[in-house]
Amino acid sequence: MSGMNWPRRWDPFRDLQREVGRLFESLEPLQTWRLTRQFPPINLYDASDLYVLTAQLPGMNLEDLDLSITGETLTLKGERKRPEGVSDETYRRQERQYGRWTRTVSLPDRVDSTQVTASFAQGLLTISLPKAESAKPRQISVKAAV
Amino acid sequence: MSIDNRSIPVAVERAAASDPSRPRPTGQEAATPPVDFITPPIDIHEGPDGLILEADLPGATESSVTIQLEDNVLSLHAQVPSPAPEGARTLHEEYRIGDYHRSFILSDEVERSRITAELRNGVLRLNLPKAERSKTRRIEIKS
Repeated sequence: MSGMNWPRRWDPFRDLQREVGRLFESLEPLQTWRLTRQFPPINLYDASDLYVLTAQLPGMNLEDLDLSITGETLTLKGERKRPEGVSDETYRRQERQYGRWTRTVSLPDRVDSTQVTASFAQGLLTISLPKAESAKPRQISVKAAV
Repeated sequence: MSIDNRSIPVAVERAAASDPSRPRPTGQEAATPPVDFITPPIDIHEGPDGLILEADLPGATESSVTIQLEDNVLSLHAQVPSPAPEGARTLHEEYRIGDYHRSFILSDEVERSRITAELRNGVLRLNLPKAERSKTRRIEIKS
């Protein structure tokens, strides 16, 4: 069997590895991200006495945005409008999402709904939700039993 | 060479090393960006004067965006500060905070001196006017 001396030019396994590598490369980073992404993406932070919610809303106008809060449920609604006067045939690439959207967020605890404030700048919505008194961390003093 | 368009600078360079004889279709990814960058979604459409590119860059400000055109490779970069308050704990995260980066190969000859860029509500809009010689011309057929 010593005569089995294949030239190392054709290696199907290496080709396969390369193909698989290319497949994953084509999926990352945009496609997987597009499949799992909800619009708009939201982050929620706990800043001890308040919750801060941020949402990425590029290209949105303030008048197309609607926020409401009931108890611990925050609802965000809006519409991202398509650019006017641009026909579909003229697109060479389209990755950005358009249309009506609604997102409902259940906050981890009660908030003081009268103190909720929101700001919108650079396509980023920031909502500050001060925690309700009952939800704030409270120090409990322990009395020594006599 | 650097051309100022509104407040976003667009740097235009000619690199000696790249090969301009192999133009690739518009919008094709020029290079894989480093892993820790965020790839912003983009739209490219043809306008009457050339190409219009729109990229979602929420959180980016005009001073944080850099646009570079080197031969036919257009690259966008933007730095974004974290919107999280100091010392806050992340409870839920659907998007990462980081710098945006993306580059493209433009197949069409672009009139470099007339490139304009504007940023509005976190959307970057780049106007890439076609160079005069690459514009479509109607050819009359004489009978």
